[in-house]
Amino acid sequence: MAGFAKIKWQRILLDKGAGALFLTPALILLLVLLVGPFSYMVGLSFTDMSFSQPGHDGNFVGFANYRKLMQDDPIFWESFLTTIKFVFAAVSLEFLFGLCLALLLFHLVGGQRLIVTLILMPMMLAPVAIGLMWKLLLNGEFGMLTYYLRQIDLMAPQTALLSSYDLVLWTMVGIDIWEWTPFVTLVILAGLMSLPKEPFEAAIMDGAKPLRVFWDITLTLLRPIIALVMLLRGIDAFKEFDKVFILTGGGPGTATELLSIYTWRINFRNWDFGYGSVVAFMVYLVVLIMCSVFYKAITWKQGLEGIKT
Amino acid sequence: MNRAWRNLGFGIIVAVIIIAMTPYIWMFLTSIKTRVDALSSIPKWAFSPTLEHYPKVFLDKGYLPLLGNSIIVAVSSTLLSLLVGVPAAYVFARDRFSGKEDLFFFFLTTRMAPAISVVVPMFIIFSKLGLVDTYLSVILAHSSFNISLVVWMMRGFFEEIPPEIDEAAQMDGNTKAGTFFRILLPLAAPGIAATAVLCFILSWNELLYAMILTAFESRTLTVGIPGLVQPHGTLWGQVASVAVVATLPIIIFTFLVQKHLVRGMTFGAIKG
Repeated sequence: MAGFAKIKWQRILLDKGAGALFLTPALILLLVLLVGPFSYMVGLSFTDMSFSQPGHDGNFVGFANYRKLMQDDPIFWESFLTTIKFVFAAVSLEFLFGLCLALLLFHLVGGQRLIVTLILMPMMLAPVAIGLMWKLLLNGEFGMLTYYLRQIDLMAPQTALLSSYDLVLWTMVGIDIWEWTPFVTLVILAGLMSLPKEPFEAAIMDGAKPLRVFWDITLTLLRPIIALVMLLRGIDAFKEFDKVFILTGGGPGTATELLSIYTWRINFRNWDFGYGSVVAFMVYLVVLIMCSVFYKAITWKQGLEGIKT
Repeated sequence: MNRAWRNLGFGIIVAVIIIAMTPYIWMFLTSIKTRVDALSSIPKWAFSPTLEHYPKVFLDKGYLPLLGNSIIVAVSSTLLSLLVGVPAAYVFARDRFSGKEDLFFFFLTTRMAPAISVVVPMFIIFSKLGLVDTYLSVILAHSSFNISLVVWMMRGFFEEIPPEIDEAAQMDGNTKAGTFFRILLPLAAPGIAATAVLCFILSWNELLYAMILTAFESRTLTVGIPGLVQPHGTLWGQVASVAVVATLPIIIFTFLVQKHLVRGMTFGAIKG
């Protein structure tokens, strides 16, 4: 009897241990790979560390880098503004197109996987390959799209979308819409298919007009999913790098220099890691804030689902 | 809905599919055009195809090892992420402990962390350790976002397995670890496969970490692409060939995991 009790005791210890053992490797790896570098970056932001001077490991400079960011770096703030424009334009249009396309697919083809997969192909391809495809299409001399846009007089003969200072940012927005509208469509379509049928039947019984049903029931029920997908897109668009890097490299001038491109330039072109760390830290902060809003949105969605059931 | 509207709707869907596919098809056509045809100022849809660019860029220019590097990096980071992520996901699905949801949220933020910010200190640390331009540096960097993807997706898959199965197995004398390895893992295998494919895709497509943490020896295929684009005189046939090879496996994989895409792309927030 005593032996039995002992075995059970071991079992409990073993099971508790297993739980901890299962969790720790992932936790340690993430701490080492993300929290470590993050703290190191914050530390670096107080130094003048740079790889352009060999053997120089950086001196403590206090808040000098932060002062520079706030007071004498108009290019950073310009880049910030460019990024905000890019994010707002891209995400709102993706939402609009994505919602329409999802409704269309929902009513006409339902969950027809093949059609849906064909439509969402752009978002699965490597962004760098997407940048390349569009560079090929929009080339000023032999670009296929350039040719047809000129044919229908949408573009003047000697212009090219990628080298026009006024149009290039909106071209980036357009390509982002091409790449990511499928994602918004996919998520909203999944949301539409999971909606309960009863509210719709009740509304039709009451003789509600289709537009009214859409506005009052469909959109209301979809609200949490729409919030989630917009936040996810917002965070990703804010981090956009690959496509713009290969399409314009931030140019012409600084017309498409998004924050990520600016951060890259300061750190890996100027090798100015001290100041570069401050810039990288700012990007990180904005993303963290967006993340906590995302978390709130998830809890909100779960809360709503809890009420439903 | 009446007939005319229906047809209009189908017309729009077809148009969207054409818009989604055309840039890719055009790139593929460019990869099998001669240089003269590719640079023609009037777009050529009909031409006599050539396969000269593929051997030229992969054999003569030495891009074949890059393909190997991409496979090594993507496979290793996928395996590492599954190895540490799947058991952690199981704990999140089954155990109760205080602060669990907050810890879970920490895993999410690691997936959201902006690569451009993480890579700056990572590059300095790795260069001090002499790890720049090794497979290990890129594999670790890619695991930093793949681990949380695994944890998020697999938690959902484990939660779909009724807890009664665990209880029954433990009644039969299995330890918790034994239950996990002998009973739960086989049941979750389809979910693990889907997660693995998504991890592979994310790692394969990634540019920023790979570009900054590698120089020559362990360059991946995505890193090789920008290097082929010159301000003047880009050999578009060759660039397009590399891009086609870099995207073909992803297209196949997308069809394999189409069922789980919503869940994967929204971190399990939406089941799909």
